[in-house]
Amino acid sequence: MPELDELESRLDCLTAADFQLGLEVFRSKLKEAEASYLNSCVHCGLCATSCHYYRMDSTLENIPAHKLELIASVFKRNFTAMGRLAPGLVGAKALDKDMARAWVDSVFGRCSLCGRCSVNCTIGIALPRIFRAARAALGAMGLVPSDLQATVDNALKHGNNMAMTKQDWVETVEWIEEELQMETGDPGAKLPLDKQGAKILFTVNPREPKFFPLSLQASAKVFWAAKEDWTMASDPGWDLTNYGLFNCNDEQAGAITQNLVDAMERLGCQTLVIGECGHGYGSARWEGPEWLQKSYPFEVKSILELMDEYVRAGRIKLDPSKNPIPVTLHDPCNLVRHGGICEAQRRVLRQATTTFTEMTPNREHNFCCGGGGGQLAMARYKSRRIQSGGMKAKQIRDSGARIVVAPCHNCIDQLMELNKEYKLNVQIKTVAEMVAEALVPNA
Amino acid sequence: MLTLHLGVLLALAWAILALTFLHLKAKAYGKRRMYSKAAGDPAQGAFYAFTKGMAPWAKESVMMNLPSYAAGMVFHAGVFTAFGLLLLALIGLQLPSALLTAARLLTLAGGFAGFSLLLKRCLNPQLRGLSCPDDFVSNVLSSAFALLAFLGSFGSAAAGIWMTEAILLLVYAPLGKIRHCLFFFTTRYHLGAFFGRRGTYPPGGSSHA
Repeated sequence: MPELDELESRLDCLTAADFQLGLEVFRSKLKEAEASYLNSCVHCGLCATSCHYYRMDSTLENIPAHKLELIASVFKRNFTAMGRLAPGLVGAKALDKDMARAWVDSVFGRCSLCGRCSVNCTIGIALPRIFRAARAALGAMGLVPSDLQATVDNALKHGNNMAMTKQDWVETVEWIEEELQMETGDPGAKLPLDKQGAKILFTVNPREPKFFPLSLQASAKVFWAAKEDWTMASDPGWDLTNYGLFNCNDEQAGAITQNLVDAMERLGCQTLVIGECGHGYGSARWEGPEWLQKSYPFEVKSILELMDEYVRAGRIKLDPSKNPIPVTLHDPCNLVRHGGICEAQRRVLRQATTTFTEMTPNREHNFCCGGGGGQLAMARYKSRRIQSGGMKAKQIRDSGARIVVAPCHNCIDQLMELNKEYKLNVQIKTVAEMVAEALVPNA
Repeated sequence: MLTLHLGVLLALAWAILALTFLHLKAKAYGKRRMYSKAAGDPAQGAFYAFTKGMAPWAKESVMMNLPSYAAGMVFHAGVFTAFGLLLLALIGLQLPSALLTAARLLTLAGGFAGFSLLLKRCLNPQLRGLSCPDDFVSNVLSSAFALLAFLGSFGSAAAGIWMTEAILLLVYAPLGKIRHCLFFFTTRYHLGAFFGRRGTYPPGGSSHA
């Protein structure tokens, strides 16, 4: 595979200075909590079955504790006395070419940073925090898979991760606006761009204008029905994605986050609303302020919270009979387990559908679809990604639902592939699409 | 025996000092300053992590591995009981017979549970693959400590061996993975606080969005 050849050639070029830099970056990402995590694992192995990779391919390399140990062994060797004095006894190892290769394979190729192992760890180790530090170190050594890095580079260069031009974006919005006006019969139905002083700045995943315009149209229809004062930005600051969360380069991630902050300031909006995207929400809501090392002077909300508020406040009325097909809900890891948005989407779906069935397990115990952690952007690991998604496919099949609602466009991409691979024969929709369908006009 | 008692006390002092040093060293990495607005309460999350979050039914990994989990619990109960008996022996106190019987049973069960986990580690290729020598040393020291506590509680010659073993265990504790006797608590706290801040813990709590 060309991607693996590229990795090998990069590994061959690594110098002692590169390894040293990797270690320094790794160390710089560790705080008190991470130091505690790295001292805690007892290798009980009970975490194995919590990992979707392991559940679909029960090899040692897929056990979360093994992935952690690869990193902990380097930590011990370089940052603990016992690791220096008796490396063989405590399993301390140097960061060398073989270890770097193992790290890449492990933290990029066998982990979607979903955090399911964290909630299942008998000790309580938040493993993704350690894996993120390792990814950052690999990034400093130039070992981030090039296609994942290209996604970040696109966002840095073009202001969105799909390198859409401003003209393409604006024209797509105008076209969707026309569609919305036709759908609602209201020439006043708008998709506002750059509306100064709007209450809400709405951000989207570039996949929406590029491949899923109906999804953006659905969100706009909900705003229209709620008579919301909203806008989107035409310049950078409209894309909610941030693959800096996955290459773990905090500087680059911060620069992408800054686009959102700048747009909020430029347009004078009060609330930044993140469209249906797990990692986008996690990046903007939770990690963004940490990357920028400052608190936002505005509020950040998921559109799920907003729709929930609309329903509860009676700003929109829904007729569940318009969605009679059995529906189940996928819980994106960055939105639910790591994001804390758990019940809003459920309250909304119960109002918008007649037959809502939970997957098992769900909420903070959900299984990752397999597309998280930047997996969708890393071609070299595609077969593992599809295989690891088998757990999600099983959950969907067991639910008996014919529609899978996924409030995340990365998850939707993965679920569409799983739908085909595992012959699930389901429709995959966003929450906004379900709500838009159930809207009672002029209510 | 007095020499052994003194040795145990010195080893205990070493263990406490070394673990304190490790704790301070971990703390020296610094606290992460948080800039994002909290959605929930870290303290509530930590409380959940130490209470309901530790229940077997709160973890699928435990429910799918109940025999190993149960063995682990009995093992830990046995080791803690053995430490209790050790302290009593050092200060020259004797438990009432009913309590002593219960403690003996716990240490016996704990020792066997520990060795059963060691056997599992030796026989299961994946668990073996996860292990380094420290895993075996730590297990042998702890399991033997529990079993010897059982034997030593009868006041036989085994008491001397038990004390000697206790010295080895206490000296080794901060050096290997037995240090989780400290880091378990800090780790669980950090996990709970992390998920608590984000509103994920406690599940169904008031901050659950």
